[in-house]
Amino acid sequence: MNRYRGSVLGSAVTYLVLCLLSVVFLIPFYVLLRNAFMTTPEITATDWHWLPSSLNWDNFTSLFDNPERPFGRSLANSLLIAVISAPVSTLFASMAGYALARINVPGRGVVLSLIVGTLMIPQAVTFLPTFVVVGSMGGVNTMWGLIAPGLFNAFAVVLFRSFYLSFPAEIEEAGRIDGLSYLGVYGRIILPNSVTMIASLGALSFIEAWNSFLWPLMIGQDPNSWTVQIALSSFLTSQTVNLPELFAGTAVAILPLVIMFLVAQRHIVQGIAMSGLKS
Amino acid sequence: MSVLFVAGSAVACSSNPQATASAKGAKVTLTQWYHQYGEEGTQAAVKRYAKEFTKANPDIAINVVWGADTSQYETKLNAALLGADAPDIFELGDFRAEMARKGQLEPLDDVYGSAKDGFNKADIDYLTVDGKLYGMKTIDDIMMLFYRKSMLTKAGVTPPTTFAELTAAAKKLTDGDIKGLFIGNDGIGDSPYLLAWSQGVDMIKDGKVVYADAAKSIGGLHDLHSDKSILLGFTTDWYDAGAFTQGATAMQWCGLWALPTVEKALGDDFGVVPWPAYDASGKPVARLGGWSQAINSKSKHVAEAKKYLQWLWVEQSAIQMDWAVKYGFHVPPQNAVAAKTPALSKGAAKDTVTIGTKYGISFPAEWTQAMQAEFIAAAADIAQGDDPAKTLKKAQSKAQSDLDKQMG
Amino acid sequence: MTATGTAPLRKRAARPAPAKVPRRRRLTERRSKALAFIVLTAPMLIGLAVFRYVAIGWSFLLSFSEARRTISLGKWVGLDNYKELLSDERFRDSLTMIVLFTAMIVPVTFVASLGLAVLVNRVRRGRAFFRTAFLLPAAVSYVAAAMIWKMALFSGVPSGLANTIGALFGADATPWIQTQSPPLYWIVLVTLRLWLQVGLYMILFIAGLQSIPPHLYEAASLDGAGPWRTFRSITFPMLRNTSVAILLLMFIAALQAFDEFYAIFSTGASLGSEPVRTPLMHLYGVALQDQDYGVGSAGAFLLTLLIVLITLVQGRILGFARDKD
Repeated sequence: MNRYRGSVLGSAVTYLVLCLLSVVFLIPFYVLLRNAFMTTPEITATDWHWLPSSLNWDNFTSLFDNPERPFGRSLANSLLIAVISAPVSTLFASMAGYALARINVPGRGVVLSLIVGTLMIPQAVTFLPTFVVVGSMGGVNTMWGLIAPGLFNAFAVVLFRSFYLSFPAEIEEAGRIDGLSYLGVYGRIILPNSVTMIASLGALSFIEAWNSFLWPLMIGQDPNSWTVQIALSSFLTSQTVNLPELFAGTAVAILPLVIMFLVAQRHIVQGIAMSGLKS
Repeated sequence: MSVLFVAGSAVACSSNPQATASAKGAKVTLTQWYHQYGEEGTQAAVKRYAKEFTKANPDIAINVVWGADTSQYETKLNAALLGADAPDIFELGDFRAEMARKGQLEPLDDVYGSAKDGFNKADIDYLTVDGKLYGMKTIDDIMMLFYRKSMLTKAGVTPPTTFAELTAAAKKLTDGDIKGLFIGNDGIGDSPYLLAWSQGVDMIKDGKVVYADAAKSIGGLHDLHSDKSILLGFTTDWYDAGAFTQGATAMQWCGLWALPTVEKALGDDFGVVPWPAYDASGKPVARLGGWSQAINSKSKHVAEAKKYLQWLWVEQSAIQMDWAVKYGFHVPPQNAVAAKTPALSKGAAKDTVTIGTKYGISFPAEWTQAMQAEFIAAAADIAQGDDPAKTLKKAQSKAQSDLDKQMG
Repeated sequence: MTATGTAPLRKRAARPAPAKVPRRRRLTERRSKALAFIVLTAPMLIGLAVFRYVAIGWSFLLSFSEARRTISLGKWVGLDNYKELLSDERFRDSLTMIVLFTAMIVPVTFVASLGLAVLVNRVRRGRAFFRTAFLLPAAVSYVAAAMIWKMALFSGVPSGLANTIGALFGADATPWIQTQSPPLYWIVLVTLRLWLQVGLYMILFIAGLQSIPPHLYEAASLDGAGPWRTFRSITFPMLRNTSVAILLLMFIAALQAFDEFYAIFSTGASLGSEPVRTPLMHLYGVALQDQDYGVGSAGAFLLTLLIVLITLVQGRILGFARDKD
């Protein structure tokens, strides 16, 4: 009796806490949307307004009207970059992760530490040499220059490796008995069976590509190769700050990711659930 | 891998301005970089100037590249200058003499020619390194103190002429949520420079960093902070007039560029003064900023680039006027052009130009971002109550070793 | 799902030992194995070589050169760059600060994300909603998040949300980011960081929680164990390996902290007035703003050294360094 009451009370408290916390977590989104519809004086006003006095859709339409800031084009660039780099980088990471987990050859440990080691060296300072290398290969202002350096993600390799470590070995062995080579096993059996994991890490790498700033800033010199994050930063200039468009633009820039999360979040959880981080 | 090739071909289709420009028959295409100006119409304007030049000089096409905002622009430019895709002509905000000494900039004395004497003397001094000119100012920005007339009258104070008057006024003008003074969201902004200059102390003098002599005046920051009379953490920073026009502060350090906005919002309920002299032995000061253009010494088309700069920023006074006042509000660096600009010859704009001519001081050309960071950090510590003399001495010796390193 | 079901089988079968095959076949077997390994790791290794190792090697050489406004090598200065940085009080302070910050933020992030995971995992209805609500912030960039924090939630004017709420309790408007005594800026930094990161770690913990066999809980329930004892005796031990891996990621992320500090404190032109600075912020200033690539690179390797040391210590204590198979 006592225990029963305790568990009802417990789950009520759990719900209460979760509801409160999710409100707190969602407040910044509300503030962002609120500001996106406000005028500059409303945003900088000295007292708080819960809602904009009117919905200024102009903030959104003028984002795309201004020929001096190619916002539409920068959205398209970001989309192209993310759509290409997410699957490619995830595939590369999956391949390496599988080999490191399941193909036991001499030197495997060295390869593993070579890859994991790149996580420990802060990227900000090796940036310029990378820029010069890519520049000397003609990568400035090109789509491949924007994309290629981000395709090699050691973090994802580590996650894939632990995922494949816990992959049931019987399936692989069955494939081997059927006469498949190691590569065949990977292509025919492993890859189709890691779709959810690929989806989850792909989503994460999509976000990373979408939100990256410093690299696209340097390599995309021409406004035609701006990404959406660069376009957003152009609303904060040294002379004036265009607050309504800045907030509206930020809201627009977050939207694709929110949609992707809503669609993919089931897969993301399931994928990582299989990753065997539990090793 | 095939996806990469798809990406590559996608780029091949995207427009390449260099290719289209040279296709029109020009023999040489120059790449010119601008940072991102906030004012509407600026990008179209510089492209129009470039086109007019090509019309007059069909051999030379200009590829204008509109760049990042100020905080990122210098980083982006410096990276580009190390690589293979550097621009031929580029803008510089804070001019860095080190770039000239490291051979990154082309001397421009022949571009100035006899017109040199017609330029603002302060600008010429600023851009001269070891006897040669390495940049050409395209606009002068004057920064000064805006004050709200009605608020000052109500509080019974007059525009401050000494630092003591400034702190007293700021205190008196502070009323609940309205603060007396806004110098920056961090409560520091450019004020350490202004304080030192207003005490008559330079940052660098004769190859020595000497700002620690300004311990007295920079120490005053602590009073401003403990009085709680300065505005902190506003939505926009000091270079935007928002805090002033919204009535969140009675006085704000800002720039000439904000004048049209302020006029529109407040009519004639405002005035401008320089930063006050520290005390009777000091002097009033204003900051002189702006943007210059320079030529990449590694450019393959230095002669053409020089021709373009000369045409645009020496000869075309109509364009210079257009550029200075049509979109934002700046001063053309050639005295004769500035005098002819009608928008600058009345009201607060005229006052500002006078302030700039009489009291304007630029950052030293030897100044680097490391020195800036070190100096501002010291001032921030002082504002929090650290000992001014000791803190500044320490920062100064670091800056001195940076300077020695720079001079080779 | 199959993976979790058959997890216990895996350990024995992880290395498929080719039993009793003729020597010739074993040889071609070995060759095809090596070939497969090379083909599968080559894209990653070649990519890292071109885009990371060359740059890392170059930076390493630069750290022994004088390289202002250039990245060409040649003016060798030995260990001068390292000495210069280590004698720089502000850089030393940043190293101390980041160690303290890591010591504080990692447990907080750990407890917060594990706590959320346990709570979300306990409810039946609305689980997807809560999961999404906590995960959504992970999609927001640091720049955008910092803008919301700086301009709307924690701005110093009365219209900031924090000040609006404070006003309900009669508090005066406070400049959150600029107040140093008490250091209120930490509230701004930590809430921003947690908002952006907790969701992702929570998902990793949920994944771990879901792989705990339900029969363990049933047994505990029959024994009459309360929720806290269940957590201590089942959940936490079963999450040990997940926790160790997540801790490693958290340590690296904390020691390399940069984005939220930079985005909150930068005032436009350059840094300087920030009340705290992380090592990476300092190095960003040195290398990318002041153009001293020699000193900047030296700093990168000092920071790497610190990261390696701390993760090794962590591995010693928690056993991550042990080979898994």
